[in-house]
Amino acid sequence: MRKQALSGILGVLAAFAIGALVLALQGFNPVATYGALLQYSLFSGSGFTATLTRAVPLILTGLSASIAFASGPVNLGQPGQLVMGALGATLVGLFVHLPSVFLVPLCILASLLGGALWSGLAALLKRAFAMDEFIVTLMLNFIADYFALWVITYPLFDPSASTPMTRPISTAAWLPDLGGVNTSVLFMVLAAVVCWLIMSRGRSGYEWRMTGQNSLFARIGGCKVDANYVRVMLVTGALAGLAGGLMIMGGPHRFVKGLGANYAWDGIMIAVVASNGISGTFLYGLLFSALQQGAIGMELVTAVPSEFIDVLQAVIVLVVVAGRVSLNMVFDRLATRRKLKENTR
Amino acid sequence: MNVLFGLVSAMVVGATPILLAAIGGTFTFYAGIFNIAMEGMMLVGAFCAVLGSFFLHSWFLGILCAVAGALVMAGIFILFAVKLHTDEFLTGIALNLFAVGLTTFLLRDIFHVKGAFTDAGIRAIPAVKLPLISGIPYLGSLLSGYNLIIYVAVLVTVLSAFVIFRTRFGLRLRGAGYNAACLSSSGVPASTIRIWSLIICAVCCGLAGAYLSLGYVRLFAENMSAGRGWISLAAVILVSGNPWGIGVISLLFGFFDGLTVFLQGGRIPTQFTAMIPYVATLVSLYLYSVRKKRRQA
Repeated sequence: MRKQALSGILGVLAAFAIGALVLALQGFNPVATYGALLQYSLFSGSGFTATLTRAVPLILTGLSASIAFASGPVNLGQPGQLVMGALGATLVGLFVHLPSVFLVPLCILASLLGGALWSGLAALLKRAFAMDEFIVTLMLNFIADYFALWVITYPLFDPSASTPMTRPISTAAWLPDLGGVNTSVLFMVLAAVVCWLIMSRGRSGYEWRMTGQNSLFARIGGCKVDANYVRVMLVTGALAGLAGGLMIMGGPHRFVKGLGANYAWDGIMIAVVASNGISGTFLYGLLFSALQQGAIGMELVTAVPSEFIDVLQAVIVLVVVAGRVSLNMVFDRLATRRKLKENTR
Repeated sequence: MNVLFGLVSAMVVGATPILLAAIGGTFTFYAGIFNIAMEGMMLVGAFCAVLGSFFLHSWFLGILCAVAGALVMAGIFILFAVKLHTDEFLTGIALNLFAVGLTTFLLRDIFHVKGAFTDAGIRAIPAVKLPLISGIPYLGSLLSGYNLIIYVAVLVTVLSAFVIFRTRFGLRLRGAGYNAACLSSSGVPASTIRIWSLIICAVCCGLAGAYLSLGYVRLFAENMSAGRGWISLAAVILVSGNPWGIGVISLLFGFFDGLTVFLQGGRIPTQFTAMIPYVATLVSLYLYSVRKKRRQA
């Protein structure tokens, strides 16, 4: 754990250094750029709350990917599952009229189901026809994207809008802001705590992790590997779906064209840098959210295009992941040397 | 007859980028690398092609730039996955993300546009009229007049089948995937073979990218590879790397891609026709699994 934190911090710092080099080569001032980045994401009231709200889909899709990768299934379908979850919440929000107390949970349920439906489809294809979920979930992403685009262009199109989008959902389903922070953050934190409990304290989480590390061992140990596979797919799909639902209920309150496109691969990216740990996913989710939020301010203050952050994020992923492997090798070598010394004495 | 010709040409046009990327992917497949970076290499290739073609006023230099860009991506893959022993899958994912980020950043930084860049100054790769064959009725219009890269792709396919199965390098390549330790102990480092396979893959993906931005259309759009790298990966896995099989599968995808264009403006909403290539991938995965099951039984 301490090793991981060390390699993570070193990696992020190294990535920032590489980013600074890129900036300097382009003729920008790295110090001013990073200053603006931090200023607009963490050290201003509105920036900080915006960072927290933005972290909701990032952390939830990150948790989805983390749990899936840690448990075996290569679920790369978070983008599609997010879209289907958002669609579920939108449908309920548009057509069901109930007071908030009932409508909010119902919308959330719909988003969970929407995501689980889409990952469940991939799980079904795997179980019934042995089709690799790795490619299936990827293809389902594209299909979900076009399907949602069709839904908001034709059946649910808002005639008063110029680009494809639905009408706003019933105001009873809107998640209010509390002190500048959207309440969707509470749901996200709750989901993260539940995930942590399941994965590190629950029996099913233990079974899933064992299956992820060695499925044969888990099978011999008495885990129902196939049933667990389906469960993991459903749970991770539901998490990504929840991200979509919360985005609708807390943000634009309607399904807008291109929703989730910016978050498409971020969840997977976060899971990868966090090496599938729950707390790591949470922290890296906050970091990436701060970067993306700060990018807007950075573009305002300095001339650096906000797309620079996309590059920086990918550099962070590469450096942290590679750094972890190399650092582990260094640590192992040190440990060996120490043991050798003890033995020769 | 004209509709048929149109469909055939649309099929060939749609098949080419997938074919090229998949041929690249098959080299790494045989070398035992789980390479999912084709998507990113193709995207960077497409961007660099426009970059080269626009600033150097030559489509040929555009192609060279595309290959160079893809090679840089391969270099990063080699550094991390082969040299530093980072997980290949993770490296691939990071590299694909890097490609999307880098190209959108540079699009904004160099061309000062968001979304897509198109300009009359971008030189497109020309179409080629085959001598002799173009004069023959029907056959001429069926085989001649395609984009240069399409003929290159056919050549690359034939060449790769020869290299993989008939040359010493091909034997070593397959050895690296089949039993890397055995190959290394016989005096040929498997890592060297893997590096070469990645370089070949990058060249193919660079060509595919150049075709996307200078042949298929004449512009660069954000994320314009649109999952073609993933489809080519599916194609490689489906036929377990056989170049001839990849040719057939690519044509099949090209057919569905062409169908997408043909069905546009019809009764079916474009959103559904746009799904066709991805649904086709799922269907072919299904057929593959059924065939595999029957073979096992």
